[in-house]
Amino acid sequence: VNRDRRVEDLVRELAPRVLATLVRRYGRFDACEDAVQEALLAAATQWPADGMPGNPHGWLLTVATRRLIEGLRSDQARRRREDAVAALAAPDAFLAPGPGDQDLPQADDTLRLLFLCCHPALSPASQVALTLRAVGGLTTAEIAHAFLVPEATMAQRISRAKGAIKASGTRFELPPQEGRAARLSVVLHVLYLVFNEGYSATSGPHLLRPELSTEAIRLARVLQHALPNDGEVAGLLALMLLTDARRSARNGSDGNLVPLAEQDRARWNRAQIAEGVSLLTNALHRDRLGAYQLQAAIAAVHDEAASTETTDWREILALYELLERLGPSPVVTLNRVVAVAMVRGPQAGLALIATLAADGGLRESHRLEAVRAHLLEMTGDATAALAAYERAATLTTSLPERRYLQKRAARLSDDRG
Amino acid sequence: MKYMLLIYDNPDTRERFFGPGGESLRAEIDALMTEITEAGELVGGEALADPATTRTVRPHDGVPVITDGPLAEAKEHFAGYLIVDCETIERASAIAARWPNARTAAMEVRAIMNPSGTEM
Repeated sequence: VNRDRRVEDLVRELAPRVLATLVRRYGRFDACEDAVQEALLAAATQWPADGMPGNPHGWLLTVATRRLIEGLRSDQARRRREDAVAALAAPDAFLAPGPGDQDLPQADDTLRLLFLCCHPALSPASQVALTLRAVGGLTTAEIAHAFLVPEATMAQRISRAKGAIKASGTRFELPPQEGRAARLSVVLHVLYLVFNEGYSATSGPHLLRPELSTEAIRLARVLQHALPNDGEVAGLLALMLLTDARRSARNGSDGNLVPLAEQDRARWNRAQIAEGVSLLTNALHRDRLGAYQLQAAIAAVHDEAASTETTDWREILALYELLERLGPSPVVTLNRVVAVAMVRGPQAGLALIATLAADGGLRESHRLEAVRAHLLEMTGDATAALAAYERAATLTTSLPERRYLQKRAARLSDDRG
Repeated sequence: MKYMLLIYDNPDTRERFFGPGGESLRAEIDALMTEITEAGELVGGEALADPATTRTVRPHDGVPVITDGPLAEAKEHFAGYLIVDCETIERASAIAARWPNARTAAMEVRAIMNPSGTEM
């Protein structure tokens, strides 16, 4: 198992480098990406059985190049344009890795690939799927399994994404300086989505899902290596590390969600917290403040507190107020309400909800009802809290959230006898 | 997010689908199915046989009893479903609105429960 794991890690690390080399030589991102995927599948079956080749990168590049040329040949044949084949038939010497291939600036290649896969013409779901395949080196079957859809659905999503990139005529290069920040924020959002998909998975039958957060962290590290001076890239990586550090404490032995206040903090991953805090501290000193850095800072305040009671809620409130200006969202607003309640008491939180609701600043949602329920419970109004928990349980589309909310409701209902 | 689109039918709709002139309705469905398949949104779906073939199983004195025929005679009956994976419920509803039954009987869009969640 260890050896397979090692093969898998190596294959996935090499995948974007091989793909970048191929795209640079032949253009045609879509065909190259298919060829690399086939080479990865070949490696996954052959390496564990026959042993690792002496030069894994060269092996993958050779196999992928052969597949690419075979594919282009049969394409050409189908279109009855055989005269073009000669131009594509590379001499065998060309199939071997060129002398400079392994010394190419890998960080730049990964960046180019990330920008391409997170092209704004694609839907977020397609950006995520293509990034995991082309940059992450995952197979279509693995991505489909992780997102709980059939392989055919995921294959369509990937092929649609590649079609859109082809149609957009985007070249394999970094986006021009103006507009690069906007493109980078799409890349960050895609990695954030991958992380959340894995992090929100509770333990259970979907074993690959938590690995998505590990994969997102790996990709964020690669990105941070390529852009070491970008504060938001560091902020996102720090946010992932600081959030993922709590992973084993957030799932109860019964697979139920454990809220932050009740988590066994001794189970939090201290090394990961230390790394996240140090990344964040450097970023805050170096670059402009951004939404990911703020979210990481909030996670750090939680991670460094010994309990909910000793948490510095004033600092968290100040950070949420800033975050609401930099990156407003309904979730951020609700979290600010919670922080207000922790600093000034539950009545202040409930009053804020009423004001926001009257202004149309908060939409009816299970999250809103859950926050209302918690605050009502804090005020001692068990009847109203029970009703709010029940409304929240009705509105959520998440099974573990519904179980949690029903448990809170049942507890209140038992207390009232 | 995954949604189930529940397709409802009534005897009139059936006739229009399979009677003369039904080709255009079936072509509409084919085109929509192609679109959502190619977009990577279609997860699955099935059409159900006529309600005449239904068997109902329900308790009688606490014991399941099997009878021929549907649960209740209704003007509209459940005729099939699609499962789609979409960014938003608005997109899922837009797909439902383009299914011919949205003009002749009814469609329902229901969120499918998700095994993931966040602590609150």
